[in-house]
Amino acid sequence: MDLLRHLRYFRAVAEEGHFGRAAERLRIAQPSLSQRIRRLERELGVRLFDRGSQGTALTPAGRLVLTEADQVLAAADRLAAAVARIGSGAAGTLRAAVPPHLGPAAVAALITGYRERSPGGELELRELTTTAQARELAAGTLDAGVVRHPCPAAGLAFGPVLHQPLGALLAATDPLAAAGARLTAADLNGRALVLTPRADDPALHDEVLTACARHGCTPAAVHEAPGGDFTRALVLSGAPAGAGGAVALLPRTSAGPGTVWRPLAGEPIGWRTSAAWPADGHGPAVDRFAAAAHEAMRDHAGMRPARAAAVHPRPASEFPL
Amino acid sequence: MTPPQPPSPPPPEPQPGRPAGRPPRPADGRPGAHRTPRSRIRQAFADAGVTGRLHARDIDTGADLAVAADTPVSTASVHKVCLLATLYREAEHGRVDLAAPVDIPAAGRTPGPTGLGAMCDAARLSLRDLAVLAVSVSDNTAADVLWDTVGIDAVNRTMAGLGLTRTTAVQKVRDLYAALAEDAGDGGAAALLDPARVARLRALDPARTNRSTPRELTALLAAVWRDEVCTGAYAADLRRTLGTQTWGHRLASGFPFDDVRVSGKTGTLPTLRHEIGVVEYPDGGRYAVAVCTRAAATAVTLPAADAVIGTAARLAVDALRAP
Repeated sequence: MDLLRHLRYFRAVAEEGHFGRAAERLRIAQPSLSQRIRRLERELGVRLFDRGSQGTALTPAGRLVLTEADQVLAAADRLAAAVARIGSGAAGTLRAAVPPHLGPAAVAALITGYRERSPGGELELRELTTTAQARELAAGTLDAGVVRHPCPAAGLAFGPVLHQPLGALLAATDPLAAAGARLTAADLNGRALVLTPRADDPALHDEVLTACARHGCTPAAVHEAPGGDFTRALVLSGAPAGAGGAVALLPRTSAGPGTVWRPLAGEPIGWRTSAAWPADGHGPAVDRFAAAAHEAMRDHAGMRPARAAAVHPRPASEFPL
Repeated sequence: MTPPQPPSPPPPEPQPGRPAGRPPRPADGRPGAHRTPRSRIRQAFADAGVTGRLHARDIDTGADLAVAADTPVSTASVHKVCLLATLYREAEHGRVDLAAPVDIPAAGRTPGPTGLGAMCDAARLSLRDLAVLAVSVSDNTAADVLWDTVGIDAVNRTMAGLGLTRTTAVQKVRDLYAALAEDAGDGGAAALLDPARVARLRALDPARTNRSTPRELTALLAAVWRDEVCTGAYAADLRRTLGTQTWGHRLASGFPFDDVRVSGKTGTLPTLRHEIGVVEYPDGGRYAVAVCTRAAATAVTLPAADAVIGTAARLAVDALRAP
């Protein structure tokens, strides 16, 4: 019996709670699926499902098998991926990712820094959102990454967290751009803000808005833009409205025609960034990547060690700090 | 089963930049009405920036709804429900006296922001009053007096006796916090906001702290509500005690109805926010719900992550109540 295949069938039925829907998802006939599940039950010597009129429910033994099956299948996936990479001659390649808006200078320094530390080692670098990186690191399709916090942390380990202040990207015609005075977050109150898409990294999006509110800026509207060009376009298109134009919150950046970047006084709003890798295993290549990323971000993206902020937990937080 | 109407959201916490009227944006772009309760619960978790696990069961019919309900979770203060269930079972068997007074000296208390942990002077309270403190304000000192009284082994034996083989305590509250302080290191409080350090906390790893699964936690609540843990006046007083919790920001926020009773117990550690409880409707419907979340953000004050526990529980209970 092909145990892995049968476990995959079993997991699909468990997830759907229904043989018909699972068969549809697996693109096989339902009788064939039922037969395979019965075969797995015979092989394991336990009943996995209660098949009632109300649907299909896992038995206690089925629940236990499901937990173990998840681990077996994840390990099998990692094994297959590792073997495939050896076969394609890519075993020496580190699969890594960086988040959007890291900046060309930092990305270039990261690639160079990794090559210097790792002669002959190949680096396969992609741009991925933090949430996507967390998912791929857990799935074993990514070896290391650079993530923005908040990042889903289950199963991951992080390098030292660096703080990168955000400033305002304004249309050059915006009155705030002309003002020589130091720009504050409160100056942006009531404006439309351009931020990274909430669906990409909801926690980051919300944390930036919370920091804005904390420092006197409640936007009239929030626009979402995934990349630099679109962000700039939104800022430019808001300009004719005069005082009410859109403002993007970004790290220090090359502004591009028609826009200017201004820091915010006191650096009240920032992004926190660190290297990330799977907690259960990392080799020298990951260590070299983490070191190169840390150095590149510190020296080429204006990042500094994160400051410790005051924290006043409410009693309902339940744990002592 | 017809998809239930979307629950009216819990009283909106003021969220900067997200006016109350702004409609939720499904990530998959499909209109909400066509999605199943489970996919809407998953979407609510994602939208709140948390990884969520949920189990809800109709206490009387056994009908249930599960979202990653068999994944082990670090239980934190939710384990106080296991502790109280054991206390009342031991009392019914005559092994402890609930009215027995206990001296709680001023020194050596388990730290905590509420209750005896926040008080200065020596006190004397009965075991059942300590139980009320342990639920109503999650009093850690009160809980540890009870842990010392009944013992970790008795709690684990009680759970095993109920068939809850994946619900295990390995430490009392003071040991949990000692591990937390040790892992936080020199940075003290602020270190628990550092994502790199939080990712290394042993208290968040179900393999190394008190643990259970959402499915087993609702099984425990169902057993308490069906008089299977203890009976008669003991069972009634245990349920009364479990109904004394003060916090309304999580499970209860999903049920803003005067005629619905919510008895819940929260559990909280850095990035973890849980609540388990029983929701009782005037038509006799009673539902045990366990919602366990882990937020991406390390912020201590995170109203959206608290509120989604109520939102998800409501979606689940509405699905179980749908004709």
